[in-house]
Amino acid sequence: MNTSLKILIAAILIAVIGIVSIYSSTSRKEGELWETLCQRQMIHVIMGILAFWFFSRFNYRWLWDWTYFIYGVVVCLLFLVFILGIVRLGAQRWLSLVWFNFQPSETAKLITIIFLAKYFSMKSIGDVRLLASKFGLWRALVLPFIFVGIPMFLIIEQPDLGSGAIVFLIFFIMLYLSNVKLRYIIIFLAILGFLIPLGWNFLRDYQKDRIMVFLNPDIDPLGAGYTVIQSKIAIGSGGFFGKGRLSGTQSQLKFLPESHTDFIFATFTEERGFAGAIILLGLYFFIIQQGMRIAERTSDHYGKLLALGITLQLGMQAGVNIAMNMGMAPVVGLPLPLMSYGGSSVIVTFIALGILANVSKTRAVF
Amino acid sequence: MRIRVLHFLIIVIFIFLALSLINLTLFQGDRFLDLSNKNCIRLIPQCGSRGKILDTNGDLIVGSSVSYDVVVLPQERGAMEKTFSGLSGILGISTEELWKKFRKGYSEPSVPVAIVSNIRLEEVAALEERKLDLDGVIIQSTSMRSYPYAGLASHVVGYLSEIDRWRLTKLVDYGYKTKDIVGMGGIEEKYDYYLRQDDGGLQVEVDHQGRFSRVRGFRPPHSGKDVQLTLDLRIQKITESAMEGFNGAVVIMDPQSGEILSIASFPNFDPSLFVKKNRSVSGLLSDPQSPFLNRAVSGQYPPGSVFKPIVATAGLESGKINMSTVFHCPGSLQVGRREFKCWDTHLDQDLLQAISHSCDVFFYRVGLAVGPQSLHDYAVKFGLTRPTGIELPYEESGFIPNPIWKKIYKFQKWYAGNTANFAIGQGEVLVTPIQMCRMIAVFANHGSLVTPYIIKAIDGQDVSANHRRIVPMRIKETTINSINKGLRGAVADEKGTANVLADLGVSVAGKTGTAQNPRGLSHGWFVGYAPFDKPRYAICVFIEHGAHGYASAVVAKKIFEAMLEEGLI
Repeated sequence: MNTSLKILIAAILIAVIGIVSIYSSTSRKEGELWETLCQRQMIHVIMGILAFWFFSRFNYRWLWDWTYFIYGVVVCLLFLVFILGIVRLGAQRWLSLVWFNFQPSETAKLITIIFLAKYFSMKSIGDVRLLASKFGLWRALVLPFIFVGIPMFLIIEQPDLGSGAIVFLIFFIMLYLSNVKLRYIIIFLAILGFLIPLGWNFLRDYQKDRIMVFLNPDIDPLGAGYTVIQSKIAIGSGGFFGKGRLSGTQSQLKFLPESHTDFIFATFTEERGFAGAIILLGLYFFIIQQGMRIAERTSDHYGKLLALGITLQLGMQAGVNIAMNMGMAPVVGLPLPLMSYGGSSVIVTFIALGILANVSKTRAVF
Repeated sequence: MRIRVLHFLIIVIFIFLALSLINLTLFQGDRFLDLSNKNCIRLIPQCGSRGKILDTNGDLIVGSSVSYDVVVLPQERGAMEKTFSGLSGILGISTEELWKKFRKGYSEPSVPVAIVSNIRLEEVAALEERKLDLDGVIIQSTSMRSYPYAGLASHVVGYLSEIDRWRLTKLVDYGYKTKDIVGMGGIEEKYDYYLRQDDGGLQVEVDHQGRFSRVRGFRPPHSGKDVQLTLDLRIQKITESAMEGFNGAVVIMDPQSGEILSIASFPNFDPSLFVKKNRSVSGLLSDPQSPFLNRAVSGQYPPGSVFKPIVATAGLESGKINMSTVFHCPGSLQVGRREFKCWDTHLDQDLLQAISHSCDVFFYRVGLAVGPQSLHDYAVKFGLTRPTGIELPYEESGFIPNPIWKKIYKFQKWYAGNTANFAIGQGEVLVTPIQMCRMIAVFANHGSLVTPYIIKAIDGQDVSANHRRIVPMRIKETTINSINKGLRGAVADEKGTANVLADLGVSVAGKTGTAQNPRGLSHGWFVGYAPFDKPRYAICVFIEHGAHGYASAVVAKKIFEAMLEEGLI
């Protein structure tokens, strides 16, 4: 079977699991908003599949030419969010389009990958070797960091620490994957180690709380620690086979906040238990394995970096989200790709997978 | 190379996730399931009503009234608005009023609020019918003990209180829990197992704000079983009003069967104080008069002269005396080095006269002739030294001394003087009023030792046969008849000690007793039965520190008079 088809099928499976879980978590909540969530997510997924189809047919080389333009657009959108975004759940993350609230930070993750993939695979005229290995400190580290730093800063300021951290991790991974000298990366890490204590002061109070709570959830069981505790209860109480369809008391009776978005993994595990969760983990792992295989088979450096970036970003985001659900990572607003409710996240993830599929398809050309 | 490292890292992360998933769901699953249930399940108790206590005619002594309250679980405002408009239609209370009551009673989102209490049964039915439209409305029945006669027969009935640690450790295997309300003392305690209701409850699911979501399960409450006593409320009222102002006890029993018709003990208490959790309860508990002591079965006192029929039986049965035996009473008797006084100078006395006049000298001599061991044996034969077996808790057994006991436990020799004291029911002799009533019943029923019982039926099923136990004592009929004549003489004879009972409309036989005790005035006793030729009632009146047996005879007279008035004799 075609690799991209496998990825698509796995992605659709995850999305369907997501829709079922959203249905379950909203089934006993009253109000028009809740009742339509499930249908909306279906529309998101259908749009996502269309986007996947579109991007998988569309040569990814095209992205090379348009990288700076897209980058510019995304940064502009982030600025727009900064200025006139919708405040929801205490954060300013959404842009209101006519029929759709759009979350530009999701696109920012993808454009960062595309941008860095291009940046680190540039070649000079007349030299077949990659420039990245010859970069000095300025070009290897500082310049790309400035480019990544602008959207990252805007995202963290929204405030959306989770997406910001993901963007930063993408930068770090791409840096590592490119042929940049290892000692630069070590220097980078050293500076980072020095900056973290300083950066602490720039975090918002609730972000500090969340990190403290991650270190010890019991310090504030009703405040910031509440979500982690309820999420762990939801997951743990599922047992091996779960409580069954529509029987998850934690999510249905609203003990678990954000049960259809960031904590959808807990919602799902409560009803389907260990058996369901391990299958879900397997599906994510399967997509990642396929992505890694595509990357390995691609000889084109740009395509390889793109594939790796997309795969690892998906893996990281899924990993951090699930870890957060199980109380193993601090609670940061980070959706579970493909599963959590949210149009931007679903569609952008499908687009990213579409690009991945395209890389898989066109690698033979180069 | 770098790709491999990252790939490896991703695999490690996923393995780590799978492992922590296993840890959470499989190893800690039960704990989390428990926590999840605690999160969302609330229990709303539905009380059954405790069994009633009835008298022999089926009249209520202690009842349970059930009140139905409307309880509302806090929900979202819209839902509550709908519920309240439905409620107001049925109960005829305006919605504003309901809101007012709701706000007043509201404490926490998870706590149901009682908004209307004590609704009528028709309203309960109407609410039940429209249950589906009324979200979050629960009809809670609460059972309250009601005491229509306040302190009447309070010692027989007992009271209700929260279970204490001592009882809990004993009863935990029978399904008792902390905070359970259990009977304390009397029938309430002894028959708690039958009387206690089985509380049911609703198991409801609530959301994160504690608002009602749905009912998960319902266990209907079961009421306790009714206990019917042999007690006759009419007689009980008479005895209690006759005892007004005295401390002591009255036992009235059917001498033929052992059926207890009345037991009164004073001072008494009002069990309803415990229902209302009144402050004065603690005062009662520490009262030096010990109002909670059921003197009829748990009070042990020296019997004094009411012990004499036993001595007379011992004398006649052992052949040491007969009907023509005459002892001279000069007012006192020298026994050993001590002079034992009689309360009067009776001169020559035969048995009949001695019983009628309660001549101490006569009985000193009988006692000395029979000997202490034999006296002790006859006392035991009459059921002394052991509980009578009545179905009331904390019954005492009394005490009868004997020379061996004295030797073993007190390292003292038994002297003739001890025998003399023993023969008039003094010294170490201790009895309970119910034992004395049972003793006199032996003479009333011509020689059978009955077992007093107070339970007639449980849950409508007659169980008295299980308790009735009549043991023939194999005393010669002549002995019984002779002593009966003496007992009748005590009433009928002009000089008889219980002569005050002579001019009643019924022929009474009996014996008074004045028991000296080291703590104040003498106790007054009267034991007797009536009517003389066909005894229906055996009575024992005991007045603590009543100075003289005469006082007790007066109380007995009042009781008989009232009973005659009510046509009970």
